[in-house]
Amino acid sequence: MKDKIAFITGITGQDGSYLADHLLEQGYTVHGLVHRPDSVGSSNIKHHLADSKIFNKRLFLHTGSFEDATHLRRVIYKAKPDEFYHLAGQSSPRLSLELPEATVESVGMATLRLLEILRDLEHPSKFLYASSSEVFGSPATSPQDEMTPVNPTTPYGAAKAFSQQMTCIYRMAYGLQTCSVILYNHESPRRGGHFVTMKIARAVARIKAGQKKGLTLGSLTGRRDWGWAPDYVRGMALMLQAGTTDDYVLATGELHSVEQLVERAFQCVDLNWKDYVEFDQSLVTTVEPVAPCGNSNKAERLLGWKPTVQFDEMVQRLVESEIDKLTI
Amino acid sequence: MYKKTALITGVTGQDGAYLVKLLLNKGYKVYGTYRRTSSVNFWRMQELGVNRHENLHLVEFDLTDPGACIRLLEKTGATEVYNLAAQSFVGVSFDQPHTTAQITALGVLNLLEAIRFVNTQIRFYQASTSEMFGKVQEVPQKETTTFWPRSPYGVAKLYGHWITLNYRESYDIFGASGILFNHESPLRGQEFVTRKITDSVAKIKQGKLDVLELGNIDAKRDWGYAEDYVDGMWRMLQADEPDTYVLATNRTETVRDFVSMSFRGVGIELNWQGEGEQEIAEDTESGKLLVRINPKFYRPAEVELLLGDASKAKEKLGWVPKTTLEELCKMMVEADLRRNEVNASY
Repeated sequence: MKDKIAFITGITGQDGSYLADHLLEQGYTVHGLVHRPDSVGSSNIKHHLADSKIFNKRLFLHTGSFEDATHLRRVIYKAKPDEFYHLAGQSSPRLSLELPEATVESVGMATLRLLEILRDLEHPSKFLYASSSEVFGSPATSPQDEMTPVNPTTPYGAAKAFSQQMTCIYRMAYGLQTCSVILYNHESPRRGGHFVTMKIARAVARIKAGQKKGLTLGSLTGRRDWGWAPDYVRGMALMLQAGTTDDYVLATGELHSVEQLVERAFQCVDLNWKDYVEFDQSLVTTVEPVAPCGNSNKAERLLGWKPTVQFDEMVQRLVESEIDKLTI
Repeated sequence: MYKKTALITGVTGQDGAYLVKLLLNKGYKVYGTYRRTSSVNFWRMQELGVNRHENLHLVEFDLTDPGACIRLLEKTGATEVYNLAAQSFVGVSFDQPHTTAQITALGVLNLLEAIRFVNTQIRFYQASTSEMFGKVQEVPQKETTTFWPRSPYGVAKLYGHWITLNYRESYDIFGASGILFNHESPLRGQEFVTRKITDSVAKIKQGKLDVLELGNIDAKRDWGYAEDYVDGMWRMLQADEPDTYVLATNRTETVRDFVSMSFRGVGIELNWQGEGEQEIAEDTESGKLLVRINPKFYRPAEVELLLGDASKAKEKLGWVPKTTLEELCKMMVEADLRRNEVNASY
């Protein structure tokens, strides 16, 4: 049997890179879209670039971007993917309040352009859109599942909701095998430093190493449903490998506060967080939304998907990876 | 107190880093903008030791967002804006012509519109380029030479240049356009041919690479040192009148010459043989093959020769390039030897 071909947008990001690892391991040929060639060498997929058995043999990178729909069409027609994972997009709800137009272009319009291309393929790929719990905004009910109405509260959430609904419309209107995965927060050592989890893990590692005295935070009361990123990309692959494509929520269903995160992170290096953490009211930028908490029973029932890494373990892995980075 | 406040777009790039250093040394408060990505990297400012300077503020920004341009100018209160941000890879512009137009051409318009709306006294520097001369209509090229761009990048930059002049003439905005010929440094990205050469030469010297592969080595360029050139940018915004200036060294060499010069920097003399796609270079002593041509690096439309005349900048701004190509090449090879020694070459 011919190896399966996958196409990943956002391949240099946290999820895209884990997904590439996972699919390459399963024997796929993987095509990835990168929008600037200069950052690939220091990105999350750099470990594959030096591997001559993988790079340009089973992993192909294409420069391209969503404004250039015709170039993208050329690239996708040539790659002929069986499965298409669309993970790219500006990733910060907070920043989307500053850059709403650019965010809606990269998060919303990009998806529509891809769907337009897939629609015209001789053998349309199965398509997965990586949506986010941000589409629920401040949800009326908790936990949320696939039936919960979207009600975004940021331009980012609205653009994600648009993409998710377009994905659904193309399934109904053209019979394409398209679906969305609604992802709750998921972390890993490949997370960028601007996410609160990494900010805390990095600070704890530096405090332990004596390079930093304390950590200033806005609020400890925010609560999140935090999972382990590699679990979530495994779920994405299961979704497109399943017989029928459908929408799924991936979440742990457990809420933890930033305080618990901080406490656990300091515990990993045998320190008491209360000795190091200070508060700065000015860092509280927005009103904290109702804590989003996901119900992934459907994914468990139909795909056999379950998170394998629990909260304590996840925090420990983040802190350890930051300690390792300091010693290199 | 700060003397002045400046805004630099494209602060993660080569020129951005050198300009940050220059303006901080002059006592400016500097806002530097960058585009958020999963692998954003401040290595250039780190190498210059300026990334944690107290007068430097790094801001996530996107030139394609018109509302954000206006808020940025209002919030920072900058009186000088240096627009160095661009999709700046000529090769990529053939694959991403529309993106290149959005960022490299219309991004300039977004900033000029913001200046027109917020405060027409803000001084604006547009980073124009010798790529606008493309298929050159005159040798050497100067401010009055007819433009003939040869890539979507060159076309987009030409829009940025003309719209800057148009806002100067229409709204009396202090818009300066600096037509900079190639300017290199150890902070150049490896996507650019000079840095690819010096990094490869270092790797070959250290046994980490066998052969350097290049495209059109007959291309002739006018190469200067980036740190000299950012000083010219600053001078353009301190002048009495906004104007257009060429910055160049008035010397042109082939890519082949730059390769020979770089190998000489690690004590290797090259013996060039053959022609066209068959051309190679061997180590004169050992006879080992070190350089060959790979047609995949050829471009759909090549710019064959660039040679700039910067007399106007010398006369009006007192600007002269201080660094010779030999000094520049040596500086780049030494930096790459050092970086590859510890496997830390970006």
